[in-house]
Amino acid sequence: MPLSDTTPLLEIRGLSVTIPTPEGDVHAVRAVDLEIGRGDIHGLIGESGSGKTMTGMAMLGLVPKGSRIGAGRFHFDGQDLRQQAGRLRGRRIGMISQDPAAALNPVLSIRRQIDDVLRTHRDLPRAARRAEALALLAATGLPDPEKVLRSYPHQLSGGMQQRVVIAQALATGADFLIADEPTTALDVSVAMQVLALLRRLVAERNLTVLMITHDMDVIAEACDRVTVLYAGRSVETGPVEEVLNRPAHRYTRALLGALPDAVPRGARLAVVEGSFDDPDPEGAA
Amino acid sequence: MTGSPLLEVTDLLIRYRAGLFAPRPKPAVNGASFRLERGTTLGIVGESGSGKTSLLRAILRLLPVESGAIRLEGRDWLALHGRALRRARQGIGVVSQNPFLSLSPRLTVAEILAEPMLAAGHRPGPQIRDRIAALLSDCGLPAAFLDRRARELSGGQAQRVAIARALALEPRLLVLDEPTSALDVSVQAQILNLLSDLRERHELSMLFVTHNLKVVAHVADSLLVMRRGDVVEFGPTEQVVHAPAQPYTRELLSFGVHSRTARKEPS
Repeated sequence: MPLSDTTPLLEIRGLSVTIPTPEGDVHAVRAVDLEIGRGDIHGLIGESGSGKTMTGMAMLGLVPKGSRIGAGRFHFDGQDLRQQAGRLRGRRIGMISQDPAAALNPVLSIRRQIDDVLRTHRDLPRAARRAEALALLAATGLPDPEKVLRSYPHQLSGGMQQRVVIAQALATGADFLIADEPTTALDVSVAMQVLALLRRLVAERNLTVLMITHDMDVIAEACDRVTVLYAGRSVETGPVEEVLNRPAHRYTRALLGALPDAVPRGARLAVVEGSFDDPDPEGAA
Repeated sequence: MTGSPLLEVTDLLIRYRAGLFAPRPKPAVNGASFRLERGTTLGIVGESGSGKTSLLRAILRLLPVESGAIRLEGRDWLALHGRALRRARQGIGVVSQNPFLSLSPRLTVAEILAEPMLAAGHRPGPQIRDRIAALLSDCGLPAAFLDRRARELSGGQAQRVAIARALALEPRLLVLDEPTSALDVSVQAQILNLLSDLRERHELSMLFVTHNLKVVAHVADSLLVMRRGDVVEFGPTEQVVHAPAQPYTRELLSFGVHSRTARKEPS
């Protein structure tokens, strides 16, 4: 039975990820609720150690070996990610990582790297794959896709490399993208262009995006809804306007207060109390 | 000469040579002029390729300039060479973007902080130990950190150590190259607060280089915006922020939370 469009594409209730180490268990994710509707760009904001990246990795089935995933519900489009994450990865769920220079292979041409993805995921003859690669590069706003196709990663700027990585993610045919700090390695002006590109692609191609970031400015620039993570727990969620204008949780307010343009010039910036390994974020709240 | 600015750059032109017979490329810095007054902070803003790092490296005398002048504390800074240059350069402290690359993984924090003093010819002894502890506490870290190594520090703690090291020889000028770009927003806030404190306490002048205009607008007294080698904007921070001359500057300022809440705030 096909699910109606009102069902969220992603439904997570009480997700936890526990990683065993020689020094004992690390509770990377403790209790995360996340619901993402089709066509949304949903921000997941938190700082180093908040569990935001591990939440994304759990959806991709890429948690460290031996990790235990617990969840009341962990569903993508009606399928249980606990069993299906590996199968969905690269078919329905794609990934855009922080550092495009690290995501791309330095010794292979862009043409080869996109073609590899197309060959793996799409059943197309050679000529059609080339046409598709060009179309994808053009869709990401790269000027002269022919030339980009012949290039190697080092011949491209950071912004161009990130556009190639986005084209690669689209090449899989995935309709849900996990973008983990996609603009953190980029200059502000380039970041703005890449975020605008993501918004346009989401609208044009019916995509859904989970945007993982530590930067409220990125959330404000690109997202429809946002979930705030603190010490492995989701502490607040809602439409971006509402969370920015009326943050309910003290930690969200602190994150906003730490932005350099939150206070008059030279005034002291808010300092976020407590640290990520604080076992009880409510206690800090 | 207390009336002269700490740093004065006039018509600075920097060009990288492509090759012996290659055509002369466009300059990386195309005639930059600005002043840094004593005890103030100048923010230098630009994206990759804007020339901001070339400008910085020329000021540190790590890069030859084609033409133009740099005066530091009234002296012709480009005329210094060899030993005299190395000695004079001790008056400039440098903090770079990634503390884990700039701090040796093999040394303890105490050894890291002692290094500039030993290199400058101070003798090891109790004086240096006291100075190291003072530097560390100045930068907000307890003495317990003296025996740690870089890998045992968080990003913010490591950057505090890097700042302490830059202050070890009591520089008049502190050069900061993207000092918060690798940090979380809340850690960035702590580092920006620390820099304000240090500036007051040590009467430091600072050059703060970054691609993020909003970060530096918070701490800088004046701003210089570079684009493709040209200085496109230079003036007091208030003026640049409230009446930017360039659409590019306005765009950089419009990024993020502030403009969205201002735009969509229901009345």
